[in-house]
Amino acid sequence: MSKVKKLFSNYIFLRVIRAILTIFIVATLTFFIIRLMPGNPIEIYIGQLMSQYGMSFQDAKNQAAALFSIDLDAPLSKQYVIYMRNLLRGDFGVSFLSQGTPVSLMIAAYLPWTIFSVGISILISFSLGITLGMISAYKRGGIFDHIVSTVAAILSAIPNYLIGILLLIIIGVQLGLIPVSAMRGTVSPGIKPGFTWTFIKDIFSHALLPIMTYVVSTVGGWTLSMKSSTLNTLGEDYVTVAKARGLPESRITFAYVGRNALLPLFTSLTMQMGFLMGGSALIESIFVYKGIGWALGSSIAQRDYPVMQAVFLIITIAVIVANFIADLLYSKLDPRIKIGGE
Amino acid sequence: MKKIVLSLLSLLLVVSLVSSAIAAGQFNGAWPYTPPPVGHFNSYATNAITLGMYYDLIEQPLAMYLWASGKWMPLLATKWSLNRKTNTFRVYLRKGVKWQDGKTFTAKDVVTTFYLGYLYNWAIWRYIDKVTAVDDYTVDFHMAVVCAPMVLERYVLRTQIRSDAVYGKYASQVIALLNQGKKSDSDEMKKLRAEFDQFRPEKMIGTGPFILDPKNLTESEITLTKFDGYWDAEKIQFDKIKVYNGETPVVTPLVMAKEVDYATHGFPPATEKQFIQMGVRIIRPPIYSGPAIFFNHNIYPFNLKEVRQAIAYAIKKEENAFVSLGDSAKRQIYMTGLSDNLVPQWLSEAVIKRLNKYDYNPDLAAKILTKLGFKKGADGIWVTDKGTKMEYELLVPAEYADWAAAAENAAEQLTKFGIKTTVRGITYAQHPTEVRAGRFQMAIAGWGSAHPHAHFSYYTDLVTYNYPSGLGPGMNFPLVQTTKSVGKVDLDKLITQSAEGYDLLQQKKIVEKLALAFNELLPIVPLWERYGNNPALDGVRVTNWPKEGDPIYKNSPYADNFVTIMILNGTLKPVTK
Repeated sequence: MSKVKKLFSNYIFLRVIRAILTIFIVATLTFFIIRLMPGNPIEIYIGQLMSQYGMSFQDAKNQAAALFSIDLDAPLSKQYVIYMRNLLRGDFGVSFLSQGTPVSLMIAAYLPWTIFSVGISILISFSLGITLGMISAYKRGGIFDHIVSTVAAILSAIPNYLIGILLLIIIGVQLGLIPVSAMRGTVSPGIKPGFTWTFIKDIFSHALLPIMTYVVSTVGGWTLSMKSSTLNTLGEDYVTVAKARGLPESRITFAYVGRNALLPLFTSLTMQMGFLMGGSALIESIFVYKGIGWALGSSIAQRDYPVMQAVFLIITIAVIVANFIADLLYSKLDPRIKIGGE
Repeated sequence: MKKIVLSLLSLLLVVSLVSSAIAAGQFNGAWPYTPPPVGHFNSYATNAITLGMYYDLIEQPLAMYLWASGKWMPLLATKWSLNRKTNTFRVYLRKGVKWQDGKTFTAKDVVTTFYLGYLYNWAIWRYIDKVTAVDDYTVDFHMAVVCAPMVLERYVLRTQIRSDAVYGKYASQVIALLNQGKKSDSDEMKKLRAEFDQFRPEKMIGTGPFILDPKNLTESEITLTKFDGYWDAEKIQFDKIKVYNGETPVVTPLVMAKEVDYATHGFPPATEKQFIQMGVRIIRPPIYSGPAIFFNHNIYPFNLKEVRQAIAYAIKKEENAFVSLGDSAKRQIYMTGLSDNLVPQWLSEAVIKRLNKYDYNPDLAAKILTKLGFKKGADGIWVTDKGTKMEYELLVPAEYADWAAAAENAAEQLTKFGIKTTVRGITYAQHPTEVRAGRFQMAIAGWGSAHPHAHFSYYTDLVTYNYPSGLGPGMNFPLVQTTKSVGKVDLDKLITQSAEGYDLLQQKKIVEKLALAFNELLPIVPLWERYGNNPALDGVRVTNWPKEGDPIYKNSPYADNFVTIMILNGTLKPVTK
């Protein structure tokens, strides 16, 4: 009995239970909400056949009706039970629009590219942002601070897809610095995947524009947050005491100010890491980058419910796990905080 | 002797230089596709990588249609004939054609193609009941229901032929099931369809001049390479065709960077202007369709033809066309529900003269409403004879920029006239559902069809969003009507009859009746006809584009694309540098 009690009072165990419950709720809500979306896959496919292939309505309707073996009129409860049963087995189902293609295969094909591009972007953006933010805070009121803060505020206000388009048009078309067609996609035709210099160079060159876009659109936020956090920390008593003790400036900057100013940003970083699983439908579409965001965008446009459900679920799980990791690591970074009453 | 050798060597050098320049010929196009693992090479199933207009260059059809002359350009078929006694359409196939895997093209491939089409309810199976290989190079299509030769021809000749070596085992199962009396809605046929839907050939094997090799495919582009064994290889001037993946926003930078030689995407007028300034030519082929105002005929007074006529008079259609799509929209002149480009082929001069063009005339519109007992209120809004204010909502798919602009302009003009109109944009995915369910007052939807036979246009105009579609009440326009122009008519029956029988003259008479009735009743008010704004880049990689006004540009870019035809017949050439 005491073992059970101990188990239920265990912080990690409770967090795992809460995470599973959250995933279940999100999976349920996602299932029903996406079915409330306007339009359905058949109607959209008919429209696509008519507009792209000049088909008459009769022909498009006949073809669409025959192509879909999905029963959209089946009771929702029945569809839900099947979905949850498959999900418990780790089966995301099969794409509506490409019969026989398992959703898990699609995820496996798209997700690594998003993790690669967005992961690198977050690391660059975070490192750059905290550096600029900290310098700004130290040089507050100066020209550097004014320029960095203004640019950061402007960049964080511009939607990322707009930055992507601008980069493409300015760097690719107007200035002609990069070949627009060669930069599209994840990899050049004929390049074989592997740990070869050719492949690595190629994937980095293809990811350059998406990474630049992510970095430019997020660095402003990190910079402003870090500046604000550093300014708060600089006013703390322990910093004043450290200065009074005559500690070297570098030690104060990194061990006292930097470390403490970083703590509030740490949660945001881990959350961002979680959200990176979702990529960005718009950025990946602009650069024809085969990531999970692109898959999500096209599945929403075509109302491919199983793919949409799977991507939303993966994002949810990633955010929950990232949050969980953040909680666990936070106590390590800040010894003042203990988890589970330890 | 030395001179001769030197001359020969020089000649050889020149020839090799020239040929190497030609061999490097590449055409760059763009078309949206879904890459693997979702995209695949089963050209019957959804999300197949068929590349739209470029598909004819891979899995070639029997023929392609030249819209201006009304003639066919034979490809895998050499000739065809119709036996009216036996109701059989016979197609003679080209000999010596090879598939890209080296096999010989025969009648068996054609039979396989159409029987697998049965599995997918292809429209041709509404008319035929059997496809037979008479010998290796002759195929018979037997009609169970006699239909217009023009309709049957298009269904047969315009179909891309698939390889029996790839698809044969499934086609033979369809034939076996049909022999057992199983129809397309039988469980056995559905099971086979579900199984075939999951069939994923490793690559696409065609008879066309270009090979789609999966090795040359990424999510951003596909490079089609020339098939040296193509039956008409000497006419093909390009070694490669690169097709960039993407919709309009993604393709726009490529056109601006002069990386695309031709695209059919619908570019906004501002983008088009930018292209022109950069020296990119814009070709404007007819699309044979456009937006129209659809009325909910359950709502009074939209069920009165005079009100619909007044609305047609109250809108300056030239203005509506221009603000919507610039030079790529032209007002409907004849207001027949049929593309103005098809009118001369289907209607006699005498009938054309009888058509009302509904030129902008707000005074006449006001007179018509006054005659009905309608009055204009103090606020400038018309009030019906039943005392209701003429205030309506106009539903439009919000994502279709040109249609949304047409709706805004029409609403503005109607409001100015005294019919207060508010535009409501909803997502394109929901728009057809709302209109079919009859949940609208006025809506912008498509009229016309890119098919040379008028039957398809009238089907779109009067059935697609009307109760006979079986998908809801739609606009609920009664198809039995009494008219001044042609007396009592059953429009539904006329639409069906227009595609039946062998007598083209008889069909034209039916179409004339439909045109006159439509022109008088105006069940919908066509606003304008859409023309493409296809960028065509001359002189970078491709040259020899025919001048504006060339009959080839009468071809619909989505039905029998003129660029595909010009690649096949060797009109378009690579730039030699």
